[in-house]
Amino acid sequence: MIRFSNVSKSYDKEPILKNLTMSVERGELAFITGPSGAGKSTLLKLIYCSERPDEGQITVADQVASKMKQRLIPRYRRQIGVVFQDFKLLNNKTVYDNIALALRIHQMNSKAIRSQVINVLKEVNMTHKAKEYPPCLSGGEQQRVVVARAMVTKPMILLADEPTGNLDPENEKSIMHLFRQINTMGTTVLIATHNESLYSGSGRRVLIIKDKYIDKEIMG
Amino acid sequence: MKSIPYYLQTALKNLWIEKWINLLTVLSISIGMLILCTFSVITLNLDSVLKQWSKGFGMVVYINEQASKEDEENLKALFMADKDFLEIKYISKEEALTGVRKALGDDAIIIDEIKENPLPSSFELKLQSKLLVPEYVKSKAAKMKQMAGVAEVQYGEQWLSSLNKISETMQKGAIVLGLAIFIAVTFITYSTIKIFFHRRKEEVETLKLLGATKMFIKFPYLLEGLFIGTLGGIISAATIYSAYSFVTLRIGEFLPSLNFSIAVLPVQAYIIIPFAGAFMSLIGSYIAIGRIKY
Ligand SMILES: Nc1ncnc2c1ncn2[C@@H]1O[C@H](COP(=O)(O)OP(=O)(O)OP(=O)(O)O)[C@@H](O)[C@H]1O
Ligand SMILES: [Mg+2]
Repeated sequence: MIRFSNVSKSYDKEPILKNLTMSVERGELAFITGPSGAGKSTLLKLIYCSERPDEGQITVADQVASKMKQRLIPRYRRQIGVVFQDFKLLNNKTVYDNIALALRIHQMNSKAIRSQVINVLKEVNMTHKAKEYPPCLSGGEQQRVVVARAMVTKPMILLADEPTGNLDPENEKSIMHLFRQINTMGTTVLIATHNESLYSGSGRRVLIIKDKYIDKEIMG
Repeated sequence: MKSIPYYLQTALKNLWIEKWINLLTVLSISIGMLILCTFSVITLNLDSVLKQWSKGFGMVVYINEQASKEDEENLKALFMADKDFLEIKYISKEEALTGVRKALGDDAIIIDEIKENPLPSSFELKLQSKLLVPEYVKSKAAKMKQMAGVAEVQYGEQWLSSLNKISETMQKGAIVLGLAIFIAVTFITYSTIKIFFHRRKEEVETLKLLGATKMFIKFPYLLEGLFIGTLGGIISAATIYSAYSFVTLRIGEFLPSLNFSIAVLPVQAYIIIPFAGAFMSLIGSYIAIGRIKY
């Protein structure tokens, strides 16, 4: 589903990823880990075309992401749900509207939007905050809204960048449960984290970035 | 299509959030268009005044001494058949002399000394006012001079060309002013939308990451520009209409004897003005948004 072959990426001549090769299969749920600054977020950005590789090829669902044409990017991105590390919630929109926005971008009609948003809010335990604005929410609450926005469109691929960074163990568990649930529905899930408790004992593949490439792979 | 309510809602919300800047922009646009409208009304009125004057414009065709009665009849028939002329008046030698006598009054004795009437007979022709273009009148006069029995053709050459120059200058002025206003209105909307778009840069980046198309991102801003321009146009159209009603009312009240004929902006203008405002602002906002790159 996601395939990197010999991908290199540097920022201002500072190499971050070098000759990285890896793959995530269709329907898989996998983790990427590594120390802070290892390039986990960069790797995810390469997948959703927010960054372009200097070398190598990236294919996602039979589409060559590394050479994606400008005009094809919007449609391509709509197949991918992203939980951004820095949230990227719109502060001038309510929780409800932030989540609804993702569906509006998918050209869904208002009625369908309403029921979907209400459902997903329930799933992330945020129904009571639907009318609040992001700045009035705690870090963990914002994070749950971002997760809701990423999954509400039922994407083919879900990328989660440190999705539990601000969560207590209780919420962490429920979010992980959600990811597994989405995964069983057929969505390929890739989670970047340095939180060991997320993947240990999960029985899933964990790709470890070290020295700018995937150094090794373990079973969580 | 499904997104239209969302676009509208977003645009209206943005308009409301930035209501003061928007109000200022709308007023600037309406002032700009008001200047143009005022100038147009003045041009229109001057034009109608000029037309009024030129109704009196005529050509005089003097008949040759040697011309026969038949030649005169022929000429008359020719002039009658010519659709360029509104009015044709024949003045015989005797009538011409009577005219001169009248003009001279007591001094008419001088003429009585002359035994033979030296005045030629003539035709006074009134041209249709739409044909009062110097070149046309000139060539018409030249052609008539070639006709059998015609001695001389006279017309107010100087007067005609200055009349035309005024008219032309006004028209050129209207075009230049129109262009200037067009640029100004476009630019006003451009800068307003540019500011808004810039302020929401982060939001735009997020929309892009969520897979929004260029159109999805642009549409609310285009609508916003469209709204601002239309409103500016409506305000200026309303202002010019009330100003016009006021002026005509007052003239009718205080100077009823003055058979005024102020040329009105045609009814279509009140529809065209808001549309023009919308069009200009749409261009302005389109340029302001610029190219969206992923
Ligand atoms: N836009 C950028 N310009 C320049 N350097 C960047 C840019 N983005 C990231 N970097 C650098 O690239 C390196 C990898 O960043 P990245 O965000 O991918 O790390 P990460 O593994 O996600 O770290 P963390 O666990 O802290 O989120 C960092 O050293 C960072 O400073
Ligand atoms: Mg990161």
